[in-house]
Parts: sequence; C-alpha cells; structure tokens
Amino acid sequence: MIEEYAKYVDSGTLKELEIIAKDLRGIKVLHVNSTKVGGGVAEILHRLVPLMNDLGIECHWEVIKGDKDFFKVTKKIHNLLHMPDGRSLDPEDVLTYMKYTFENLSYVDTDPYDVVFIHDPQPLGLVVKKRPGQRWIWRCHIDVSSPDEATWKFVESFVNGYDAAIFHIPEFVREGVRIPTYIIPPSIDPLHDKNREIEADLVESTLTRLGIDPERPIVLQVSRFDRLKDPFGVIEAYRIVRRRVDCQLVLAGSFASDDPEGEEVYREVIEAKGDDPDIHVLNLPPDSHLEINALQRAASVVVQKSIREGFGLVVSEGMWKGKPVVGSNIGGIRRQIINGVTGYLVNSNEGAAFRIKQLIVDEDLRHRLGRNARERVRHSFLITRHLKDYLIVIHSLLEGS
Amino acid sequence: MPEFRFKSELWTAQYTGIKAITLGTFLKALKEVDDDTIYYHLYRNMFEYHFLPTDYWNSFSYWFAENGYPVLAEKFSALDLLECVCISDIRDEMVRILEREGHSFDKICKPFYFIRAVRKVVDLGLVARDLKELREGIERVGIHSLFYHIVTSRLVHCSPLNDFSRWLTEIGEVKKAEEVNRIDLMSVSLYQLKDRLINILET
Repeated sequence: MIEEYAKYVDSGTLKELEIIAKDLRGIKVLHVNSTKVGGGVAEILHRLVPLMNDLGIECHWEVIKGDKDFFKVTKKIHNLLHMPDGRSLDPEDVLTYMKYTFENLSYVDTDPYDVVFIHDPQPLGLVVKKRPGQRWIWRCHIDVSSPDEATWKFVESFVNGYDAAIFHIPEFVREGVRIPTYIIPPSIDPLHDKNREIEADLVESTLTRLGIDPERPIVLQVSRFDRLKDPFGVIEAYRIVRRRVDCQLVLAGSFASDDPEGEEVYREVIEAKGDDPDIHVLNLPPDSHLEINALQRAASVVVQKSIREGFGLVVSEGMWKGKPVVGSNIGGIRRQIINGVTGYLVNSNEGAAFRIKQLIVDEDLRHRLGRNARERVRHSFLITRHLKDYLIVIHSLLEGS
Repeated sequence: MPEFRFKSELWTAQYTGIKAITLGTFLKALKEVDDDTIYYHLYRNMFEYHFLPTDYWNSFSYWFAENGYPVLAEKFSALDLLECVCISDIRDEMVRILEREGHSFDKICKPFYFIRAVRKVVDLGLVARDLKELREGIERVGIHSLFYHIVTSRLVHCSPLNDFSRWLTEIGEVKKAEEVNRIDLMSVSLYQLKDRLINILET
C-alpha cells in the first residue's frame, strides 16, 4: 500500500517511513472520532489507519455514538470554539455532553491500546478512561484561537488530562494548555477518489450531468453548508466579478451526519442564489468524491472564503489539481496559500472578486500559480507527511515514558 | 577505506509556548530558546519552500517584513547559514544584528510563535565504500537524507564540512569535497541539490 505513493513521493522518503515505523511494531494505536462519513477528519482516517497497519503498526478506528441531541450540543461547542456567537454552553448542554460521554465510556474500548488519538471535542471526555502507561493525544482540527471563553474552559478541563495535543497551527494553541503541543497540519490523500487523476471525458460528463457549462469559466467553492464557510460572501464576490467577466459559480457541499445546521444553511444559500442560472448550488451525497474531483479539475479558480477554518483541506485539494486558490487570510488557509506564489490571500468579498477576475482573465498567471500550488501540496500536505509526523509524535511520547 | 553510512532525519514541530509580540520580547526569546527552536525557524523554510520563488529564507524574516522591519528581514534572510558551524554562532549573529539594527522595540506586532523541531535521526541501512556507491546511495535516498548530511550533521558536529565532504576528504577526493562544500543551498532546491551532488561525483 505505501509503495502506491511512489508516484508522488520519492522512494527514499517512503523508505524512511518504513524504518521509523519498524521501531514501533508491537504497539497498538486507536483513533476515535465522531463520524465515519463527511468532513476532513473521517477522510484522513479512512486512509491513515490502513497505512499505519500496512507499516506494521496495529491501528484501529472507533466512532463514538450519539443521537441528534448530542450532536446538536457538540455542534454548538464546535461553533463556540470557533467564535462567540451570543449563545453560551448552558448546564443542560453540559449534562447532555456528559451523559453521552458516559455511555461511550463503555461503548469504546480503549484499554487494549498503547496510544489513543482522540479527534476533536466530541469524544474528548473519554480521557477519563486513560489508564497508566497509555499515551493519549488530543487531535484538535478546529480553529480555537478566539473561542467563547466559557466553552473553551469546559474543553480545557479535559484537554489537560491528555499527554499531548496536536493543533494545525500555533495560533490555535490556547494559553491554558499545559501539556506538550505539536503543530501538525492535516493532509490529503493523492490516491483518494477525490484527488486521483481522472480522464478529461469524466470531468466533462460530470459537469454536463450537473448542469454546468464546461465551456465557460467556473469559480468553485467546495464546503459543507455552514455559515462559517461564508457561502454568502462567495455569492457577493461572484456578483462583483460578473459585472465585468463571464463565469459560473459552483457551491458544492453536503450535509455531515454530525452537523444538524446544514439543511438550514443550504436553504438560505438557495434563497441567496435567487434566479441566477449561473449559480449552481449542489447538495451532493457525502460520497460524491469523483464529482468533487471533476469540479475541482474543471474550475478556473478555486475559492475558500471561510470566516473561520480549522484548516480547510479543500484548499490543498484544489492546489493539488494545479489550481490557484483564492482564500481568506485566516487560520489554516494562510498556512497553505503562499500569497502571490500559489494563490491569493484575501480579506474581503471585494478582494476575493479582484483576484478571481485577475485569475480568470490571465491564463499564464493561472497556470504559473497552479503549478506552484501543486508542488507546495506535494511537498507539505500529502498524507505521507502526516503519517511521518504522527510516527514521530508517537516515538517521542513513548520514549518519554 | 572508511564507510559512509547514510542516515536521515525526520522532524515534526512542537510549540514551545513562547510567543513574541514586540521586537523586544522577540530578542529576549531569541536569546533563551533552545537550539532546536532556532534550527526550526532557520531551516524550515529552506526545507519546505526550497522549490518555490519565495521572498525570504527563514520564518524570522517573514515576521520582520510583516511587521514593518524590512531591513531586519533582509539581513536575517541574507545570513549565510553555511558560514556558521553551529547554531550558537547563528544565534549570536542574529542577536548582534537585532541589537544594532533594531528599533521600536516596544511596538506591538503580530505574534511570533517559537516552534521547536522534534528530531528523529534514522539509519537507512545503506553504506558506501567508494565513490560509485556514494553516488548510487545519493540517487536512492530521499531529500531528507541529503538535508541531514549537508546541513544538520554539520551543525550537530559543529563542523565547517558537511558529511559528504568530510568523507570525500578522508578518501583523498579533496577537490570533490571542496566542490560539494561550496554548493550554495540558498540558490538550489533540494531536488537540484541531488542532481548537483551526482554530477560532481560523476565527473
């Protein structure tokens, strides 16, 4: 399996992964998150877990259980960790969270493992099960740089029970975190259906099937229907672009099982689109990987105009397809885009419109930035680099034991 | 003939918990953080962006530029990392530049986060006993390994010679050793470095 990456990563680097993993043979690793489908975390784990096994490290993946009430609370926590929104975590929310955490303590068996990775806040409370000798790592995939303080305090009380935490960028590390913190960006898998090479015919037929004109420029944002992804700002930027330059806007996303707000935001986006036939709002099933792949390959410009973003792997996905990305100058997006070299960082709808226009009109610029973008991802945001980082963290924590 | 053992170094990043929001606090931190932290900020860009036309050679310079200290940005970026044989030399030089050229030490800036490189050296199990085997080895290993032998091991050993040059000198290939040691890492990508090394060993 690991050798399949030789097409993208030099064989020497793959050999290094095998060597470092060899030292860890015999240990058991568990990853725990809240959904098998939808969102970047599940996508990464779908590939990372088999890769660790392929390298001889026994690795498993468990998903906590919860119903609509639980995920409503965890979505609220998620939003409040991203930014205050006038709400607060009330005692009933805490009770719901604790009730499901308690149920999951017996549902998820963490005892047989030497190293346990807990992803995001939903399963965070499982740490009370940590037994001596184990190493527990909290993997935070969200931007907690300016959260609702009370919500963060609730989360922090669990976080400091871990042996280490991993954040995407240092800006996300809160001062109350007193455990070792590693800075590890996430990654994309070049072999995943969403990223692998596909035929031009498939790209064209997909566009036709989705009602998009393959002959006209496409501006694309891929993201779940979430206000934090600012689909309304993208529509406004597109409308500014359309005053001077012909193009179509595609907003493609899906509903994740742990996100109860998706449908509501989707309806609002449809309303904002109005009767413009060149705005395509696509609510795709979560497994529409080839469709997303085709859309990204067909796009002239990929946009990621999030207000808050844990990392925004879709940026790397677009870059991997040789597309310059116009992204908000925030969080993980800033880490992926090198302004003027692989795409553009923008701070407003107007700024986004200016760069989108520039890239649609100037083909040379588009191709030059696109080439750089692909190289950037090849070097820094592929899953093999992510795997290497995790192996070093495991080494480092076990050596310290 | 002595053996050349190919090694490689893999790193990940750990936040030190130290951040600077003024030039003054930056200078203080620069004097205090450990060598692996200086190493991370000096070499991370060389490693991550070596193939892209970026403006500066290290994270320090980007921070200076972003916060209105263009002269410091240029001077830090122009530091010839191959002239310095250990991190403490580079640190001393950076402190000197800051104390000489710095101004507005209390101005509030965007935070600079000091990150430490968590390093793991691995033996690749590959050995060269002559020039041909060294060349073949270089062809086989990844860019992390080249980076280790050309950059990191010099700093670890506080030596003016990189590993390849030291070994080439030991086997009497002094001219090749000098050529390898003269390669300007600031002007080639690590992929180009591999080609240059192979070229030198072939001639």
